[in-house]
Amino acid sequence: MAENLWALREQKKLSVATLASRAGLPIGLIMEYEAGQRSIDARHLTRLARALYVEEADLRLRSDPRPGTGQLERQPRPAAAPAAAGPVQPAGQTNHRSDPAAGSPQPTPASGAARPPRERGPRPPRVQTPRPPAPARPSQITHLQEVLARLGRAQAQVEAELGKPLAEIDRPTASKLLTQFQTELREGRSAERHRAYLPEAVDQYEMRYLTEVQEAGTPLHFTLFDNTTLAGAVVGFGPYNITVREADGREVTVNKLAVVSYVKMPAAPPAGQEPAA
Amino acid sequence: MSLGDYLRLLRAQRGGVTPFDIETALPELTKGSYRQMEQRYRAVGDDESLRLIAGYYGQPFEELRWRLDWPRKALSRALVQALTTDAAISLYLWNGQEKTGRVKWWDLGALELETSDGPIVIQRHAVARWDQRAADDDPAAADDADSDD
Repeated sequence: MAENLWALREQKKLSVATLASRAGLPIGLIMEYEAGQRSIDARHLTRLARALYVEEADLRLRSDPRPGTGQLERQPRPAAAPAAAGPVQPAGQTNHRSDPAAGSPQPTPASGAARPPRERGPRPPRVQTPRPPAPARPSQITHLQEVLARLGRAQAQVEAELGKPLAEIDRPTASKLLTQFQTELREGRSAERHRAYLPEAVDQYEMRYLTEVQEAGTPLHFTLFDNTTLAGAVVGFGPYNITVREADGREVTVNKLAVVSYVKMPAAPPAGQEPAA
Repeated sequence: MSLGDYLRLLRAQRGGVTPFDIETALPELTKGSYRQMEQRYRAVGDDESLRLIAGYYGQPFEELRWRLDWPRKALSRALVQALTTDAAISLYLWNGQEKTGRVKWWDLGALELETSDGPIVIQRHAVARWDQRAADDDPAAADDADSDD
């Protein structure tokens, strides 16, 4: 049996605004349909039925006015009704506000007495308690450890300065420390020879090998493709070349493409000592 | 030296012409094939393309062709096997040297061999061919086995 539009809408717990939005119709038009002021247009019937998830046949083409809607004007206006309660809508007029509450006025109580306004005291000021800083992220700790290793600083020493282990510091502290150490690293390394980034797994073993001999100052003896040789301490290297300082202090950069092989040379004896026979 | 490394070397000897220049000069080459031949670790290229490239560089075709059968990836497989089986491997280098020993480490750029003369780091592009020996053929391995007894 066909139902009134407003009854179906309330069954579905929808506001007029929501129904209007779903059906793509103006709120005012829906209110007019609900008040029975006009029959539902055939084109709109489909939209409304879809929006309410009902069959078109379930919708009455002309709604009966909602009980109580047309009696507002007959209800005595309470003398003490505050202005804030809003104007009483006269019968036959539509409310075009998009406020859903206004679109579906609730039936007035049988007593007709207006609800006294709630007395609200001044809202107490919200006290914002500062949140404790979050603990440092594991990635921050790892990054800190890497930077410390590159700086050559002991983690224990930094922890002693902080008064707590690195794992227990908070996020802002970790961030501040990272900034500080990275600045130190940048400034401290600026005088050194720039070393290109060598992607791991491409030449990581050779990179480690060359790093080790460079740090130890071990001279290398290179054999080149034209069977010439080159000897000296590694002072820098990249993915494609190696720079060595020869015994006479001359620096030579050799392209790896020209290198066949290289071996470690025995360390030079300290000055004043003759090499063993 | 694999075909890719050899092509890089030839290109460097030509004053650093780019792969684009070469493909422009050889319009018969499939687009991007030259770059792939240089950069891929597996064997890339057919005889027809190699003939064109050999003509461009003024090299005998065979000089390029045999390198196609010794790509970097095949060397990686041989090095992995030598490392895992602790077997000796002989490397024939581009300058005519031969180095035999156990692989200590290897990556995509170089490798270290423990030879009878001591450790040596060899650039992979210097390796022309290799010969994988069985552990039994390796005198050092045999010595080790004896010492275990």
